[in-house]
Amino acid sequence: MFFATYLRRELRRRMRQAIFVALGLAVGIGLVVTVSAASAGVKKAESSVLASLYGVGTDVTVTGEAPQPKKASANGQPPKGATTIQGGPSGATICQNGKCENAAGKTISNLAPQYLPIKSAEVADVARLHDVAAATGGLLLTDNTITFPKDFGKAGGSQPPTPSTVSVDGVAAGHTALGPLSAASLTSGHSFSAADSDAHVAIVDSGYATSNNLKVGSTITVDSVKFKVIGVVRQPQSASPPDVYIPLEVAQGLKTGPLGVETGDVNTIYVTATSAADISAVQHEIAKLLPHATVTTAASLANEVTGSVANAAKLANDLGKWLAILVLIAAFAVASLLTMSAVARRVAEFGTLKAIGWRTRRIVVQVLGESVVMGIVGAVVGVGLGFAGAAIISRVAPKLSALIPGSGGGGNFQSQSSAGGGPVQRVIGGSPDRTIAVPLHPSITVGVIVLAVVLAVAGGLLAGSFGSWRIARLRPVDALSQVA
Amino acid sequence: MYKLTGVTKLYQKGRRTVPAVRDLDLEIEDGEWLAVQGRTGHGKSTLLNLLGGLDRPTEGIIELDGINLGALRETQLTAVRAEKIGFVFQTFNLIPTLSAAENVEAALIPLRVGHADRQARVAAALDSVGLADRAAHLPSELSGGQQQRTAIARALVKEPKVLLADEPTGNLDEDTRDEIIGLLEHLWHERGLTLVLVTHDTSLARQAQRVGVMSKGRLTIKQDNRPAPRPDTHPVAAGHDPIA
Repeated sequence: MFFATYLRRELRRRMRQAIFVALGLAVGIGLVVTVSAASAGVKKAESSVLASLYGVGTDVTVTGEAPQPKKASANGQPPKGATTIQGGPSGATICQNGKCENAAGKTISNLAPQYLPIKSAEVADVARLHDVAAATGGLLLTDNTITFPKDFGKAGGSQPPTPSTVSVDGVAAGHTALGPLSAASLTSGHSFSAADSDAHVAIVDSGYATSNNLKVGSTITVDSVKFKVIGVVRQPQSASPPDVYIPLEVAQGLKTGPLGVETGDVNTIYVTATSAADISAVQHEIAKLLPHATVTTAASLANEVTGSVANAAKLANDLGKWLAILVLIAAFAVASLLTMSAVARRVAEFGTLKAIGWRTRRIVVQVLGESVVMGIVGAVVGVGLGFAGAAIISRVAPKLSALIPGSGGGGNFQSQSSAGGGPVQRVIGGSPDRTIAVPLHPSITVGVIVLAVVLAVAGGLLAGSFGSWRIARLRPVDALSQVA
Repeated sequence: MYKLTGVTKLYQKGRRTVPAVRDLDLEIEDGEWLAVQGRTGHGKSTLLNLLGGLDRPTEGIIELDGINLGALRETQLTAVRAEKIGFVFQTFNLIPTLSAAENVEAALIPLRVGHADRQARVAAALDSVGLADRAAHLPSELSGGQQQRTAIARALVKEPKVLLADEPTGNLDEDTRDEIIGLLEHLWHERGLTLVLVTHDTSLARQAQRVGVMSKGRLTIKQDNRPAPRPDTHPVAAGHDPIA
């Protein structure tokens, strides 16, 4: 009771100084809370981008090497297996493996894997690795189709057509919880079951379905093979999803051209580690097992994702963190100086208390109590400032964007034209870089609030400890002589 | 009560060593009123600080009820001051943010007296100095005389054996000075305190039982009005043969 009365009266006596100290701590704490909230929001934004790229539950993705376009031979002949188109006065001709025919009015389809194959035995080897909880294979393909107009190749005829490209993903029908469908939400129909593993059924992306007027029950064609649509899914915005998903075993049976995928082959492996701490170890083990494959984790992919979300993450982690630390140090320093100054002004008072029998410890507790109260007030105001800062960021911060690098490979489709300009080579397949908007929602956790209170109280104690050191060294006779 | 033997206190002022108290031998009896006079800088306050355990002698021994104060650790000295010694200062030295009652209560905090008991003793102490109606006033709301009365109440609330007063009337006008001295005398008489009072005022000093003068660190007793010790009335002890 006496302790509280003395404390309250003393803080009231130096109200301005106490408010100044508390406000200084509050600004530092507020900055810590705001930066933490912004950082958490950016991390969440990053995670949502990566989760949609990666799929929920996928810790490591393994892809085969990207196929290199085959070059023409030294005498200018096209590479073996390549389809070439040549135009001339009598029209356009399509040639493949020495067989040629008139291109006009023809539709040519070419299904190619986006990455070189990985043997199914290697999928099993990966699944058996220590620290791997689950592994499943996938087959990423690109179906390129060109339909030539009837007057293509004639003088004054139509220009070379642009091929249409459909990305196709062969997924393990009984393991959709891991892999590209894990992050998707079903908008109509149903997903694959184990019974669909050899059925000619397909799930289509909602964007692709809209552009091609597809719905559950529609029929689509992949590499001249018909598939019935059983479901439509929507992937998170940041994903660069395939257009069509078909059962893996069916995909493995399609003709994939000279880059050829044999039965049982995949070109992607989706892996779940036993724990987050094991991801790095799993990545290294797979890289040793499959030295020619590309092994990526969310962390390594995060390094490739650029755009303002990455810049914001850097800003929050580097500048924001250090700014908060510097402001806190300054606040602690000011609080300490002001507390020492207050103690210096009260030397005679403390000398009198020692003279009438107060132990040094009792006086120190009194001074520390005053500092802790200022710290607590600083914490409360600081958390409030932090919430306000987070709300301001949420309201006025520009939308973040993530630049997702495109996926590579796919296709050996080349075209040549004799109409001026020399040979024209088109690389077909893969997906371009995409920029997507990412909302920023700063979030303040209970942990951050607790941290803020702890920091503020610690700041108060630190400030009080300097004054306490002075009190501990104070000799009553010296203190009382100052009054005289 | 107090026994000082060969007590010397030296201060270092740069390269010079200044003897504030030199080779002092003194005994102060229980219940005695000793006044100490002397010019400024001749060691009066230093002697009071030594008696109060606020400072330690450079040489010699100071015993209070047989306890060598110089040999005690700081916490032990603090405990002795808390229980046995009351201080009254020239500048009152009240805590400015606490009321008169709370200032008096501050002296009981080290003794871990219960709240109810504290309140009762504080009220009695303020009543004994005539300030019962000023208990809730801050020092800034009290006159000089009232502040000194509060300080006296603070010194006496713990029922000390010794009261050390350093120029208690130095900052007061004449009428108030007489008031305070009258109060101190009354309380000394009523409670049987040992009172050591430092003062410049000769007329005030003469009211004490014994008057000493500090001059360049040495104490000379100028007046001793202490009552003579009562003769021992036991017949054998007096050498009186009851049978003869």
